[in-house]
Amino acid sequence: MNQAKVKVAKAKTKKVLNVLITYCILIVVAFIFFFPCLWLILASFSKSGSIYSFDGFFPVEYGFDSFKTLFTDTVMYNYPQWFLNTLFIASMSCILGTILTILTAYCMSRFRFKSRKAMMKTTLVLGMFPSFMGTIAVYLIMTQFNLINQHWGLILIYSAQAPMGYMVQKGFFDTIPYSIDEAARIDGASNFTVFVKFTLPMAKPMLVYTALTAFTWPWSDFILPKMLLVDRDLYTVAVGLMSLGETEFARFAAGSIFIAIPIIVLYFCLVKYMINGMAAGAVKE
Amino acid sequence: MANLSLKHIYKVYPNGAKAVNDFNMQIEDKEFIVFVGPSGCGKSTTLRMIAGLEEITAGELKIGDMVVNGMEPKDRDIAMVFQNYALYPHMTIFENIAFGLRMRKIPDIKRDKAGNPVLDKNGKEIPVMRHYNKQELTAKVTEAAEILGITEYLKRKPKEMSGGQRQRVALGRAIVRRPKVMLLDEPLSNLDAKLRTQMRSEIVKLHKKLQTTFIYVTHDQVEAMTMGTRIVVMKDGFVKQIDTPKNLYRYPANKFVAGFIGTPQMNFFQGTLTKDGDSVHIAFKRSDAKVTVPYSMLMKTMPQYLDGTKTVYIGFRAEDIALEEDKVAASNAKIKVRISHSEELGTETLVYGDINMDGDGFDETSTRVIIKSAGFKEYQSDTVCEAALNIEGIHLFDIDTEESIMPRLPEYNYADCKVSAGKLAILGQSIALPSAVNCSDGEYDLLLPTDAVTFDGDIPAEITSTEDINGKLLITLSVNGKKLFAVTDCSADGEKISVADGKIKIGIDMKKIIIRKNSEDVISPMPLVNGLNGTFVMEKLPEMTVVNGKEKKVKKAHYYLLIDGTKLEAPAEVYNKLFAATSDRKAFNSAYRYEWTPYDFAVSGDGIRAQVEETLDYGAEKFVRCTVGEEVIYVKTDKRLSGTVHLVPDVSKVSIIESERQIRIL
Amino acid sequence: MKVIEKFKNFFKTLPDKFKAIPYKLAKKFAGAKEILVQGNGKVSASMIVMGLGQLLNKQWAKGIMLLFIQVAFIVYFVLTGATDLFGFFTLGTRAGNAWYGIEGDNSVVMLIMGILAILIIILYIAIYIANIKDAYRTQCALDTLKKPVSFKQEVGTLLDKNFHKTALALPVIGVCVFSILPIVFMILIAFTNYGDNIVPPALVDWVGLENFGKILSLGQFAPTFFKIFGWNMLWAVLSTAINYFAGLGLALLLNKKCVKGKAIWRAFPILAYAIPGFITLLGFKFMFSYGGPINYYIQQAGGEAVGFLGLDAKWSARFIGLIVNAWISIPSTMLLATGILSNANTDLYEAARVDGASAWKQFIKITLPYVLFATTPVLISQFIGNFNNFGIFYFLRGSLNVDGYFLASDTDLLINWLYNLSINNNYYSIGAAISLIIFIITSVISLAVYVLSPSYKQEETFR
Repeated sequence: MNQAKVKVAKAKTKKVLNVLITYCILIVVAFIFFFPCLWLILASFSKSGSIYSFDGFFPVEYGFDSFKTLFTDTVMYNYPQWFLNTLFIASMSCILGTILTILTAYCMSRFRFKSRKAMMKTTLVLGMFPSFMGTIAVYLIMTQFNLINQHWGLILIYSAQAPMGYMVQKGFFDTIPYSIDEAARIDGASNFTVFVKFTLPMAKPMLVYTALTAFTWPWSDFILPKMLLVDRDLYTVAVGLMSLGETEFARFAAGSIFIAIPIIVLYFCLVKYMINGMAAGAVKE
Repeated sequence: MANLSLKHIYKVYPNGAKAVNDFNMQIEDKEFIVFVGPSGCGKSTTLRMIAGLEEITAGELKIGDMVVNGMEPKDRDIAMVFQNYALYPHMTIFENIAFGLRMRKIPDIKRDKAGNPVLDKNGKEIPVMRHYNKQELTAKVTEAAEILGITEYLKRKPKEMSGGQRQRVALGRAIVRRPKVMLLDEPLSNLDAKLRTQMRSEIVKLHKKLQTTFIYVTHDQVEAMTMGTRIVVMKDGFVKQIDTPKNLYRYPANKFVAGFIGTPQMNFFQGTLTKDGDSVHIAFKRSDAKVTVPYSMLMKTMPQYLDGTKTVYIGFRAEDIALEEDKVAASNAKIKVRISHSEELGTETLVYGDINMDGDGFDETSTRVIIKSAGFKEYQSDTVCEAALNIEGIHLFDIDTEESIMPRLPEYNYADCKVSAGKLAILGQSIALPSAVNCSDGEYDLLLPTDAVTFDGDIPAEITSTEDINGKLLITLSVNGKKLFAVTDCSADGEKISVADGKIKIGIDMKKIIIRKNSEDVISPMPLVNGLNGTFVMEKLPEMTVVNGKEKKVKKAHYYLLIDGTKLEAPAEVYNKLFAATSDRKAFNSAYRYEWTPYDFAVSGDGIRAQVEETLDYGAEKFVRCTVGEEVIYVKTDKRLSGTVHLVPDVSKVSIIESERQIRIL
Repeated sequence: MKVIEKFKNFFKTLPDKFKAIPYKLAKKFAGAKEILVQGNGKVSASMIVMGLGQLLNKQWAKGIMLLFIQVAFIVYFVLTGATDLFGFFTLGTRAGNAWYGIEGDNSVVMLIMGILAILIIILYIAIYIANIKDAYRTQCALDTLKKPVSFKQEVGTLLDKNFHKTALALPVIGVCVFSILPIVFMILIAFTNYGDNIVPPALVDWVGLENFGKILSLGQFAPTFFKIFGWNMLWAVLSTAINYFAGLGLALLLNKKCVKGKAIWRAFPILAYAIPGFITLLGFKFMFSYGGPINYYIQQAGGEAVGFLGLDAKWSARFIGLIVNAWISIPSTMLLATGILSNANTDLYEAARVDGASAWKQFIKITLPYVLFATTPVLISQFIGNFNNFGIFYFLRGSLNVDGYFLASDTDLLINWLYNLSINNNYYSIGAAISLIIFIITSVISLAVYVLSPSYKQEETFR
């Protein structure tokens, strides 16, 4: 009897200790991830812009000056314009890229045609090439097509390259039972109808995930815009912020917060889709 | 509302695997057909070929009068219920059921907004195709929902419903279009046992109500037995037997069907049969059990199994073995059983035992026995009892082929015969042998095919009984006190046979008989199938036709069977079938084997060159044996032929086999 | 062991495979042979002039379309195609000379246009073959008294049976032009002398394997290459391992039953995940810079400012790189692991608990094999991603040149060196050769990992 009691008591202390340690680790983790963000937020509210006038992580004086200059002082750094540019490029690429990716994934999952295996293998191999030696070629192609220094050129590249990452979506489509397609076909639907009326509505989580990734890539990419955009007014935020120096730290922080907020909001709203989407793509090759 | 015809249906995958082999079946309107078999037997593949979800490799599939090979599923007017229901998860139940209707157009006449017909210049109604309107849709969906009792759920989504309700929705989706054929692919296997029983009777009820042809696939023999009007038992892509549930149970054609149908499984022993005068001794292997039964009960057994040398499977169903004292006392076919354990099922008790006194009664061996006994009767373990065998329920199968050796329709009559001076002595008669049956004097075994018994001879016989078995008539005759089986088509000879007081005269078709000595054929029957290898070719020939009142030279295609260098023009019904069964120009690029009966040849000036080897005179009919290249063929003829002749077969009667894949096309 | 056996088997069956080649070829070309032997006059007509056979069969729309394609192709070929194709081989013959006002050939553009021309010719040949096959199909149908497929029906199938052709047309063209063409270009560049001072208007030439020789033999490139390669491998292994296990650990931690308010705890890593990478990286660069907060506190404590990311800060910079990369990448692994863990079979854990397995045992015996199995493909792609992680050191240190390295720093990965060489310093052909080498390395590694991985070995266990 007594021994049993001791055992129960021991288990209890062990459990409490376990919970305690768990929470300690969680707090540390939360701090590690949150502190740099907090630092950036604080920095954006600093009155003086330079990083040299900080007390360690904390600005000496607080104010809204950097936000004001961010949106008003547009001579050197036209942030509002950059923001709109980025929004335009990212949205358009997101729409086109999502459509193309979903179409590709659907075909690869549902159709058995002659070149299917070859295409799948090709994309797998191509994915392993370091992509940006190719950017020289992309640059040359764009000059040939006269699309340098134009947003549509960027959109074209982003959406055309998006289908290369169709594997995650294909994995998801593979989990939708074939019998639903077959039932619909017996009911008189063509493959197109099946796709529009059945597959798409059922793949909503995957659509959201695809759109999100197709949006964030151009939103935070800097290699292509830096290469293809020449005029300062055409810059995306990423390229623009990179041109800021250490003395403009507060402005950099303020600009960063503005560009980060939309994505953060999107992520938090759609975190469920993200998790499901990633898992769907992972489990099924 | 349609009959189906499946002729020589094959499914061959690109890697050469045959999923379905030569499936032949006529399905009548309003039948409830069940395909049953273990997984991988090809039952679902066959169903999916009927649905159009799977391509038919070869063969002809007709729904109604229409050949539907290669037709899209939606155009076949079929509906299908899937194992996992395949409901559309994002649509309400109403939309799920209505979707098939929304996709379809119905013929109507042109109307104005008020619904009045619009007439053309001549005052005639203008036919148009239109979609169902809202009222029609609602009415049809509601009707289907009412039949299945799901009216109150129409606004729900599938995931808010239980398995049984989902299955009803799936059925509703199928019946709402009133299809010609309903296809059900294991629709109940995702349900629990109780629901399954309930849905089973509901589907039967639905079938009665709709009066439509149902084809139902299942791996569960209980479902098959309780639902089907006819059952197709399949294994490894082959049809094992097609029959009604009752006949499958009583007359299984092979060990597989015998074991598959019925619970508990049929008891299979091994043993030998030895005929001794008018009785047969049955000796069980690995056991001391022996019983002796009168030969009259095993009349249909093929005699080569009765000499005591061949081991056979001996099958008894659990209910054909009895442990009750009164039955045992009355029986004269008794065996000793050591009881191992029993399962009480309430109304009955299954007693497990072994006819080998060292067996344990648990493992499935050739001596284990399961006996069905009345309920609430206790049996002591490890006691030895006597059990009575009901010999009428015996089933015998070949040990290798596993086919029944006492088929319902016997193929042969077996008799001893004596030949002397060109006369054959059988059945107490002496019959003159034709010159083709050239046999030296002596005593022989005679195998007289049941279809070699004709009804136009001069041997007096008496009909003791007749039995209609799947369109064939089995006639048991008595000739001089000896039993003789004859088989004939019900329709053809039926009238001739129903003679008053059962007395008729029979004859024997001598070209079909087999005479044996020491298991070696002395006289073989004349083959009735002559195969010739060849190809199929096309030739375009100019022809004068009248086009728009003007005479014009037009090239017209002619099609020929090419056999050994001879071209035989194919009639439309032959080439149309051949083209329907092949894709692209396969018809012209394949090797075929063409088959004719000996009656289909004519001797003519030009035709296939053949070398006459021998004339066979069967009295009433005369044949010649010829060689065409390497092949040997038999031809019926009235003339005396010798040397080289030219044969012209009747192309419209040809049957065709594609050589490479061994697929029967015609 | 299995791998070795596979290799053995492969070589054992090799002679048979060679013997089977003629048979396989014959089988492959059986269709073509059939068309050549059995095709009628109309098929031959289509061979000579695209669409002619179709027109003779009175398939007007299809015939005219095909005819139009052929005319368009001929026009293209005469106008630019032929010169483009020719230019692909010569890479230009006329050097530009500003003094004499001669506008010379631009070799690089010629190379690209040459590849484009080859792509177009391949496409045209595909259509040409389809045209012959179509004519033959019509012949087959007519010969066997079937109705040939009408143009309307054929267009109808583009939304049904052949929907994949419609749907894939745009993606395939896009991928061809913007993914495949650039990669082909890059591969070809590796075999030219494009770069250094040979850039247009100077003429570029094919040089064969010279570039690879330059990289691997002694010279200015080889020492740098091997030094960077060593660090690159170390980096890829370390960072992948850190990110993977830390992410998995975090997911398990958040998956614990005793943790309340999971959504809130999870929000912090997601916050880090959502912030665009370049912002994070630039932020960290500021943090560790000379005037940054870290150095501020060091100075406050009486120390001297440390150049964490400075010129001679080899290991500290590498260490910071690993940490920052972990900060960025752990959240995504965590999300992935969370998704996979939520799909895991809980029965397994209950069975293990009943059997008396400790938490650690459960992790080793159940969780890890399952997650490893499910995530092997992701793990491979993460490894490749880390191997080619361009952003980290590009943002943290910029393009520094350190002694002992040729146009690179001691933290640079191959991909950064590649960037310095090709984009900043015009060593295009060397850069292309390096990226080919990177490709070979990464694909060999990922193939090996995949073959040795649990998901390859025991595909059945977790199904």
